[in-house]
Amino acid sequence: MTKPADQLSVYPQTLVGDQLLRFLPSADALRTVPATVYAAGVVVAFFLVAAVAPSLLQTHDPFRTDLYATLQSPSLDHFFGTDQSGRDLYSRVVQGTGQSLAIGLGAIGLSIGIALLVGVTAGLAGRRTDAALSRFLDVLLAFPNLFLALLFVAVFGATTTTLIVSVGLGCAPGYARLIRGQFLVVRNSGYVEAARALGHPYGRIVRQHIFPNAMRPLIVMITMGVGQTIVWASSLAFLGLGVAPPSPEWGALLDAGRNYVTVAWWLEVMPGFAIILFALSVTVIGQHLQDRLEGRVNP
Amino acid sequence: MTRPVRRLAVRSIPAAMALALAASAAAAGEPRQGGIIRYGHYQEPPCLYTGWVQAGYIQRQYADNLVARDNDGNIVPWLATSWTVSNDNLTYTFRIKPDVKFTDGTVLDANAILYNFNRWLSDDPAKANRNAKLYVAEYIRQISAPDPLTLKIELSKPYQPLLTVLATYFFGILSPTALEKGQEAICEKPIGSGPFYVDEWKRGQYVVLKRNPDYNSAPATAKHQGPAHVDGIVWKFLKDNTLRYGSLQSGESDAIYDVPAVYWAEAQKNYTIIQDITGGTPTRLQLNTARPPFDDVRVRQAFAHVSDRRKAVEVATHGSIPYNGNGSLSQSSPEHVGALHDSYPYDPAAANRLLDEAGWSARDRNGVRQKDGKPLTVRLLYAGGSLLSADATLVLQILQDQARDVGFEVVLKPIPQADWFAGKGRTVDDYEAQPAYWVASSAEILKISWRPDEGGVINANNASRFQPPELWKLIETADRTFDDAERLKLYQDAQRLIVNNAAVVGLFPLTFTIAAQPKLRDVWISSPVSEPVFHDAWFEE
Repeated sequence: MTKPADQLSVYPQTLVGDQLLRFLPSADALRTVPATVYAAGVVVAFFLVAAVAPSLLQTHDPFRTDLYATLQSPSLDHFFGTDQSGRDLYSRVVQGTGQSLAIGLGAIGLSIGIALLVGVTAGLAGRRTDAALSRFLDVLLAFPNLFLALLFVAVFGATTTTLIVSVGLGCAPGYARLIRGQFLVVRNSGYVEAARALGHPYGRIVRQHIFPNAMRPLIVMITMGVGQTIVWASSLAFLGLGVAPPSPEWGALLDAGRNYVTVAWWLEVMPGFAIILFALSVTVIGQHLQDRLEGRVNP
Repeated sequence: MTRPVRRLAVRSIPAAMALALAASAAAAGEPRQGGIIRYGHYQEPPCLYTGWVQAGYIQRQYADNLVARDNDGNIVPWLATSWTVSNDNLTYTFRIKPDVKFTDGTVLDANAILYNFNRWLSDDPAKANRNAKLYVAEYIRQISAPDPLTLKIELSKPYQPLLTVLATYFFGILSPTALEKGQEAICEKPIGSGPFYVDEWKRGQYVVLKRNPDYNSAPATAKHQGPAHVDGIVWKFLKDNTLRYGSLQSGESDAIYDVPAVYWAEAQKNYTIIQDITGGTPTRLQLNTARPPFDDVRVRQAFAHVSDRRKAVEVATHGSIPYNGNGSLSQSSPEHVGALHDSYPYDPAAANRLLDEAGWSARDRNGVRQKDGKPLTVRLLYAGGSLLSADATLVLQILQDQARDVGFEVVLKPIPQADWFAGKGRTVDDYEAQPAYWVASSAEILKISWRPDEGGVINANNASRFQPPELWKLIETADRTFDDAERLKLYQDAQRLIVNNAAVVGLFPLTFTIAAQPKLRDVWISSPVSEPVFHDAWFEE
C-alpha cells in the first residue's frame, strides 16, 4: 500500500506544502482523469448545490402536501413521483441532501478526529500505552458498529446531532486501528531509521516524515468513509431511529416509504438511488485519489 | 365517499359473524378441534397483566371477569352467574359460579375475587391496579365475601358505570397464589382462569398461550361453553407492517392485527376481515389550555379549523379507519354526539379571522404569526411507533403542513414508548398539543380524562388542562344518574362543552382489525374495549 521506503526518503514531503500541491492536478494530468471521475465530480457538485441552496434545484415545496395527488408515479411534473401525502419526492430528496451530507461529513469528521487522537497516541507512544489502547480498541471493535449507534440514539433521542455523534463514535474504533497500524509501519520504516541515524530531533522526524507519510492513505479513507456514514445514518433512520418527520433526510425517506414498497416502488427506489449515487461518486473520486497517490496513474 | 368498511365498523357480534358465515356458508358445521392459531400482533406491552390495552388483548385470553358486556352494551353473567342491586344503588350482591379453578389449581371463589379487589385498591403502588383505582376507588366503601359463593360490594355513593367497568380487562380476576409472587412475576407469567394460559413469553418475539383443558367459566357472550376448540395461540409481535401482512400472505400467520392501510382494499378481497371500533376517547389532539397560545379559546378553535382532518385521515389510512371529529368520545361509545364530528370543518379563512381577533396578526418572514414578539409555535409531542402508527403519524404531518398556511409553526416531537409512559418530557410546560387515546366502553371515560386537579395533585390524564367546574359537575352528576335519558343528556352536554371549547381536536378512533385466513372461523371481537376472542375459534378443514 505504501510506497517503497527508499523512494520516499529521497523526497521528504510535508502535508501542507508539496503534498497538497500534488493533489491539484496539472493541465496534463486532467487529461488523464477518466470520464467516470468527471461524472462523479458532476454528481457530487449537484449534491453540494442541493445541500447549500436546495431551492435552486427544487421544482416544488418539499413539505407541501396535496391530499388529491398522493402516490403518483414519476412524471414530468414530479420527477420522482409523490409520496403518501402528495409531497413531491424529488424536491424532498433535494431538501434532504443537506441533512444527509451534514450527518455523513459530521460523522466522518468526528470519527477521524477521535481515531487520530487514539491511533496516533497508540502508534507513537510506548509499548504499554499502545497495548492498553489497542485492547481498548479491540473491546470496542467487538461490538457491532450499529449496536453502539443504536445504544446512543436510544439514550439520547434521535436528532441530527445525536446521529452524527452515534455514527461517528461507531466508526471511530475501526479508523483508529488503521491509523495506529499506519503510524507503526512508517515509524519503523527505513527512511525514519535513516533520519534517526542522522541525528534529527524526534519531533522533527515525526513532523516531517512520520506524520505526512502515515496520513496519506487517510485522505482516501475519508472520502470513502463519507459515503459509508451516509448509508449508516440511513440504516438508523430506516430502523425508525432517524430524525423526526417531516424531515426528508434520505434514510427517513426510506423508512417512510417501506410500508408502500409493493405499491409505490419510487418511494424506496428514488431516495435509495440518491444514496447510492452519492456514495458511489465519492468513492470513485476517493479511489482515483488513491491510485494517483500510489502512482498507479500519472500525476 | 362510500366506504364498504362502514358496514363492518359496527360493534355487534352478529355483523362480524354474518360476514364470517357469508364467507363460506356452505362449510358451516360443527367446530373442529385442534390446531394452533398463529396470530401476528403489532405492539408488545411491557407487562402481560393490566395497564395498557395491549396487555388487555392478551389478558382476555387467560383471565375471566366478574361480568361481561355484550356488544349492545348489556351486562351479562361471567364469573358472576347473577347479581342484585339494592334500591339505593349502593349494594351489589354477586352470586359466583361454582367449581371454577385457576389454571394453577387455586380455587376461584368469592374470597379469591375479594383478594383481587383488595390488591387493586391497595395503597401500595407495587400492588395497586392504577386503572381499577382510577375508576372505582372513590366509590368503594366495603367489599366482603359472606360465603364462598357470594361477593358483596358496598358503595359510599352511587356509581352507574360500575358493572360496565367491572367488565373491562383491568378488572380481570387472577389467581391469588400467583399474585402473591409479586408484580414482576405476575407481569411475566400471569395466571387466570381463562380458556388459555400463558406458557411462555419470549420478549420481543411472541407469547405462547396454551389451551386450558378444564375451562368451565366462559361468559354469556361466548358462542360455546367449555374449553377452547384450538390447542393454543402463538401470539407473535410483528411490529413491521409489511412483515406482518406478509406473514398472512405467505401463510406464516393464520390471523393478523391491523391491516396496513396500503393493503386494506386487497385484504378485504382475500381474507376474513373483522373490525371493531374501540370506545372511549378517540385519538385526538389535547390542546394545552394552561399555556399560551392555547389558553385562548379562539386560538384553539383556529387550530381546529386549519386542517382538513377528515380528508387527511382518509388519505393516511386509505379508508381503513373512520374519521372521529368529536374529540371527546369515540363514535362507538353509545353516548357520543354524532353532530360534533362536523364541528370545525377545514376552514383556513375562519382560522385566519380567529387568529387576527386573538391578536396574532403580525407575521415573520417565514409566514409564522407573532404576538408580542413570540412566534405561534405548537410543540406537538407524540408516542411515535407505539400509541401512533406510521399511518397516524402521516395525519400529523399533513396537519403540520396545512397549519403552516394559516401561520402556525407546528413542531413534531416523537417520544419513545418507554419515555411516554413514564411521562418523561411531558410536563405542562413541555407541549402545546399531545395526541393520545384512552380505551373504554363508553362515556365512563370522561371521568378519567376530565377530573380536575385536586389538592395540588395534577390529573396527568387531563393533558388539555381544561377543567371548568361546570364540566366536572356534568360528568359527576351523570356518573350517579340511573335514569338513562337523563344520564345521556348530561354526558352529551359534557361533550358539547369540551368540543365547543376546542379543548381537544378529534382525529380517529382506535380500531381493532383482524385479517384472518378464511379457514380460521369464529374469531370475534368483544366489547368493552375491542378485545379479540379466540376461545370460540376453530380451523375448517
